Parts: sequence; structure tokens; C-alpha cells
Amino acid sequence: MSAPLARRGLPQLPGVAWLLLALLLGLSAVAPGFASAANALNVAQQATLLLLLALPMTLIIMTEGLDLSMGASLSLCTVVLAVTSLGSGSLALGIATALLAGVLIGLLNGALIAWLELPPFVATLGTLGVAQGLALVLAEGRTTSGVGDGLATLWNGAVAGLPVPLLFAAVAWAVFHVLLHHTRFGVAVIALGGNREALKLAGMNERGSLIAVYALGGLFVGLAALLLGARLGGGHPTAAIGMEFDAIAAVAVGGTLFERGKGSLGGTVLGVLAVGVMRNGLNLLSMPSSLQVAAVGAVVIAALVLDALRGQH
Amino acid sequence: MSLVAQAPLLSLKGITKRFTGVLALDQVSIDLHGGEVHMLMGENGAGKSTLMKVLCGAYKPDEGHFESRGQRVQVHSTADAQRLGVAVIFQEYSLVPHLSIAHNIFLGREPRRRVPGLIDHGRMHREARAVLDRLGLDIDTRRVVDGLGVAQQQMIEIAKALSQNARILVLDEPTAALSERETERLFEVIADLKREGVAMAYISHRMAEVFSLGDRVTVLRDGKLVATMPAGEATADELVTLMVGRKVDMSYHRGERPACGPCVLELRGASSTGGIRDVSLKVHAGEIVGLAGLVGSGRTEVARAIFGADALTAGEVLVNGERLKGRPTDSRSKGLGLIPESRKQQGLALARTVGDNLLISGLRKLFASGLYRPRKALAHASSMIATMRIATRGPRQLSRNLSGGNQQKIVIGKWLLAGTRIYLFDEPTRGIDVGAKEEIFRLIDRLVNEGCAVLMISSELGEVVRVCDRAYVMKEKRVAGEVPRADLSESNLLRLAMHHE
Repeated sequence: MSAPLARRGLPQLPGVAWLLLALLLGLSAVAPGFASAANALNVAQQATLLLLLALPMTLIIMTEGLDLSMGASLSLCTVVLAVTSLGSGSLALGIATALLAGVLIGLLNGALIAWLELPPFVATLGTLGVAQGLALVLAEGRTTSGVGDGLATLWNGAVAGLPVPLLFAAVAWAVFHVLLHHTRFGVAVIALGGNREALKLAGMNERGSLIAVYALGGLFVGLAALLLGARLGGGHPTAAIGMEFDAIAAVAVGGTLFERGKGSLGGTVLGVLAVGVMRNGLNLLSMPSSLQVAAVGAVVIAALVLDALRGQH
Repeated sequence: MSLVAQAPLLSLKGITKRFTGVLALDQVSIDLHGGEVHMLMGENGAGKSTLMKVLCGAYKPDEGHFESRGQRVQVHSTADAQRLGVAVIFQEYSLVPHLSIAHNIFLGREPRRRVPGLIDHGRMHREARAVLDRLGLDIDTRRVVDGLGVAQQQMIEIAKALSQNARILVLDEPTAALSERETERLFEVIADLKREGVAMAYISHRMAEVFSLGDRVTVLRDGKLVATMPAGEATADELVTLMVGRKVDMSYHRGERPACGPCVLELRGASSTGGIRDVSLKVHAGEIVGLAGLVGSGRTEVARAIFGADALTAGEVLVNGERLKGRPTDSRSKGLGLIPESRKQQGLALARTVGDNLLISGLRKLFASGLYRPRKALAHASSMIATMRIATRGPRQLSRNLSGGNQQKIVIGKWLLAGTRIYLFDEPTRGIDVGAKEEIFRLIDRLVNEGCAVLMISSELGEVVRVCDRAYVMKEKRVAGEVPRADLSESNLLRLAMHHE
């Protein structure tokens, strides 16, 4: 039973699985404190934050789209969360407005792309600027802190021995798995990238589906803002700058194609772990963050070349 | 009572459809009766595909209306048409590559569970299996469509339409991609559907199908309905004549030209990655050779194979007896020029000036040193504008602002400046008005009088008859036959191009 599985399964492991394995082994050997329980929790927390962006990014890329605004709108949402909570004295209201802000930016992206037919790159580059600007204005350029301990449990707390961020990750994965594989919305996502004409001829609402994909992205940016806000103890206008880069990298490394609607949520999870582990290890090795970006970029290229050589593209 | 039974399931009444000034359908009325196969015939561009798109609600007609069992109905979308029971088997594939076969069959109509919104995969695959079994198709319904052969994709397209339990089924050349066995299976299914009282509209280029399947035939020409008759009363000759019509310019031939020179371009048993198979043909200096055939017969692919845009998988291409390496740069240096079908996408940089476009292919020849000399470039461009009589303010005008005919002249002028001796024209007059067409033909005529050779692809048979010295006819990616000057007529070309078994 297990022998044929191993024989068939082993060489078919995607490039990203090998990459993750190599990173785990390599960093355990060279990075001090990498292979410890405390660090594993640290990686899990960070990776969850990235996963909340990378899952919707997978669907967006499957529709042959892109969302460059995620990092900036994530920062904006943390600021909205902090400013509203402090202003009103109600954490619940802060959470609600942060989620709403995320959804609104997602809807704006979707409307620009589906109705005005702007190229996703341009549309979301525009909203990136808008979100970043708003965040700076709203926060007056500073960290807004002192939101309270209630929020912090989202980052540090545990339920039944499991860290709260891990629960977030599990629920998010389940939601996306059901959406993609068990609903018409998921079929529409695959068809949007694979053959938009077919969707139209089948009488399905292709614009509505496209807007929903970006709005879903916005909602999960809002959820990620709760985690990030919990970690920071408030909001910061540039806290998540460039996080869309890591998210796109994780999706690409995970084997989702940028055309024809081929994508894999499982691949994205592995991609998120690879990027997260790598960032964490490089931090432990005290590599400056500017160099880390270059390293992540190089790994993306390496993983894609590996897949291309093995004829998966 | 009997009158009600005879009322057609669906009628189109006086349908007119225009595309930016072009009349694609002109007052076409057609009845689809239950239990009948209604064959639709016509040359390329006669309006068959437009009519089909109107039928399924994808195009909204400018005039005319629908009647369902004698009742006037509104059809504004594909969903409206589906509610009337219309399903279409498309020729161009409407499948999603990375969805499973079952998902493709039930796209937008997935069976759902009670749990809100969730797809019932078990039921979907069972129902898909049943439809595939009906078509004798033994493929796993969970397999993704990506990577399936053309014939299998076409069968899934058919399954998709069947699964809708349509009362009106539209088939657009469904057998074009099928093997004999699959075709037989499809015909059995069509016979079943007939017995079940389904009305079918069937577009075909195969005469044999018209007579074996059809109950009624309608012939379209230039967007007009020419005739509707019972299939049993039609003859093949009659149908060809109806499709071709009697066009005025058929009587007009240009004068004989002196005997042509040596063979400058030859294909020997060429097959290519573009799909052509075992194509052999010759073009001599001072000769215009036509390449006719229906859409999808492989004409463009022949030109691409000659020029090296598609790689050869067998055979060879010889220019002046010398074998081509199969690379566009090599072909160009040996004097070949390709004037592609979609000049806006492939032949012309619209955002650049007329002068830039004229010079682009001749850069290496005109500036052999590698240094670009603007004044010399301008002089060359200006003189070409004069010889070609391109209506432009000058070489600095942007190409996008010129008319279609003048843009086409730029593309030809570009190859003239590059010193091209063998021209491959793909639909040189598509989208060009009548006056400019004549000028393009005169230019082509001048090229051959100066000893160049021309291979001209055209969908308009009348054009081939008028302009060419000889013609080859393509059918199913092969050369179906060669027609010498003396026998060059529209009906001869059409007979070869169609499946006149």
C-alpha cells in the first residue's frame, strides 16, 4: 500500500515541497534557535498573517488578475482599527470598521476591473496609492497604540492549547477550499481565468463573480488587519508595506499559473510556509530586510524554473 | 389541433443584424420544426454564424423578432434563449481547460445540495456519466479538459448541449473535428433526438450530410436568405449555384500575361506544427497563385509554414531551389515576405509613424552599416509613399489614423523596401472598401509583372477567380486540388473546398 504510493508520489511532489524541506533542514543546521518550539509558534503566527493574504490572492491570480493594493490596505485597516477603537472606546466597532474598510477597497478594485475593465495591475496600483495615502493621513504618520489587551489575545492567545492565529489559518483554509471546490463561485473563478467566453455563454454573471473575488480579498485583508493590529497593539500606516510581494511570491511558488485558471490552494499553503520559514530564518541570521526581499525573489524564480524544467508548466 | 402541431417550435422573423455599417443578416426568416433537421449552408461570411449567435441570444438583432410555437417572445440574452429550450454546440471551443469534464458539461447549471450553494458532485458526475455513455464516450468525468484531443473536446461540447435536454439544438459544423466512428455515433444521437421531437439547426459544409441528415435546407448568401427547400428536392449542383450566386464581376477577367518564369517557391510534402498535412505546391516568378478553402481549412497555416512562423514536422520548403531553415529571419533574407491576415495586430505598429512602418523590414538592407540615417530613411519612405500612392500627410503621420486600404499599402510597401521577391498575402482585401481593393489588386498585378511571385490566400472565391493565374484549394489541412486558369470558376473552387463526396 505505502510502497506504490511512495513510488508514485515522491517524484510528483511539487517544487515548493522540496524547497520547504530544504529550507527546514538547512535553517535548522545554520540558524541559531530556529528549531525550537518558541520559534515554531513565531513562524506559525507570521505565516498565518501571510496566508490570509495569499489565499484570496490565489483566487485573484487564477482569474488572471492581481492585487497590488493588499499591503497598503492592510496597513490602512490597522490604522482604521486603532483609530476607531480609541475614538469610540469600543473594540467591536473598531473591528467592524476595519473589516468594512477592507471590503470597500476590495469592492473598489473589483469595480475598476470588472466594470471599467482596467487592467488589474493598473487598477490595484492605483488603490495601493490611495490606501497608503489615506493610512498616512488618518494616522498622522505615527503609530496609534494602546488599543487594549482584548485585541492582543488574537495574536498571543490560545484555545484548547492551539494558538489563535492557527485557528484563523485553519478556518480560512476551510472557507477557501469549500468556496473553490464546492460552489458555483469557485467554478466561476476557474472559468474567469480559463475561458471567460464560456462563462458568458453559460449565462453566468462574470462581472459579479470578478467583483466578488476582489471583495473577498478585501474582507481577508480586514481579517489580517485584526491579527496585525493585535501584534502591534494598535495601528501603523506602513506596518504591512510590501506584503503583497510576499503573498504573490507564495502563490507563484505554490504552482498557481498566471493564466488559464490553473491554481492550487494546497500549493499556496506550502508557498506561504516556504516564504514564512525563509523570512524567519533570515531574521535569525540577522540578514537585513532589504536583502531578504532579494532572497525571496530569487527563491520564487528558482522554484518556477524547477517546475518548468520538470514540465509542469 | 393539427395546425397547432404544425406550428414551428421556434421561428425567427425578419432578422437584420448590422456590425458597424456591415449588413451581416438582412431580413432573414427561418422556421425550426420539431423532429426536423434544418440544414444551413452558405459560403464563408454568408451569415450562418451570425444567425446562430442570434438564435442562442448571444447577439441581439437590430430588427426582427422570435416566435415560439406561434407566440411572439423576447430574447435578450443567452439565458432567455436557454429558457426557450435552445442549446448550441459551438464550433470554437467554449470549454474551461482546468475544470473537470463534468464541471464543463454542467457549467452554470451544476446540481446543488440542500446546504445552501454547495455543488452536489456525486449527482453531477452520475449525470455527466449518463450523457457521455449516450455518446459512447469512455472518459473519466473527473478528468480536466486540458490536454484532451480536439475530437474529444468536440464530443464534450456535444454532451454539454445534450445535457440541457434542449428542444431546439443548434449544431455548428459538429463533425469538422470528429473521426468517422464518432461522427456515426453523433448521427445516431441526432436520429434519436429527431424521434423525440427535437428541432435542429445544422450548419454544414458537407454535401453528404445535407442529404443524409437534412429534412430542409436553407441557403444564405451575403447575409440574405436565398432559398429554403425540402432537402429531398435539392441537388448538389443546385445548392452550389445558390451559394455562389451570379455575381457581376465574375465575367470580368484581367488580360493574359506572358508565360511565367521559373519555379521560385515550392513546398514538398510539408506538414507543420500548425496542423497542415502533406502539402505540396509550386509558385513561379511572374505568377499569382490563389490559395482558397473554407475557414479553418489550413490556408493561413500554409503561409505560416512557408515563412517559418510554424515549424515543419515533415517535408521541405524550397526557395529558388534552396531549402529554407524555417526561421522568419532566414525566410526574409531569401526574399520572402508575409502580409498577414490581421494587419492591425501582426502587420503594422499602429502607434508608430507611416515612415517607421515602411522601413522596419528593410532596415538591414538599407542601412547595411548598422547606423540609422534619418534623412536617408525619410527619403526612402517618401518615395515609397509616392509609388504606392498612400494617402497620408507624410511619413511622420501615425499609422493608426490611416484607412484600412492605406494601412494595407504600408504593409506591402514595407516588404517592397525590404527587397521581397516572393509575397505571401493572407486575405489582402479583408475590411477594405471596394475602391481600395482595386488599387491593391493593381499593386499585386504590378509586382508580378516585375517578376515577383505571389501566393494569395482569400476567402472570397470571386477574388481568386478574378486575380489569380492558378489556384490550390485546401480542405481539412490538405491540398484538395489544383485548378488551372482555364477551369478557374467559383463553383469549381467551392466543389473542391466542400465535402462533395
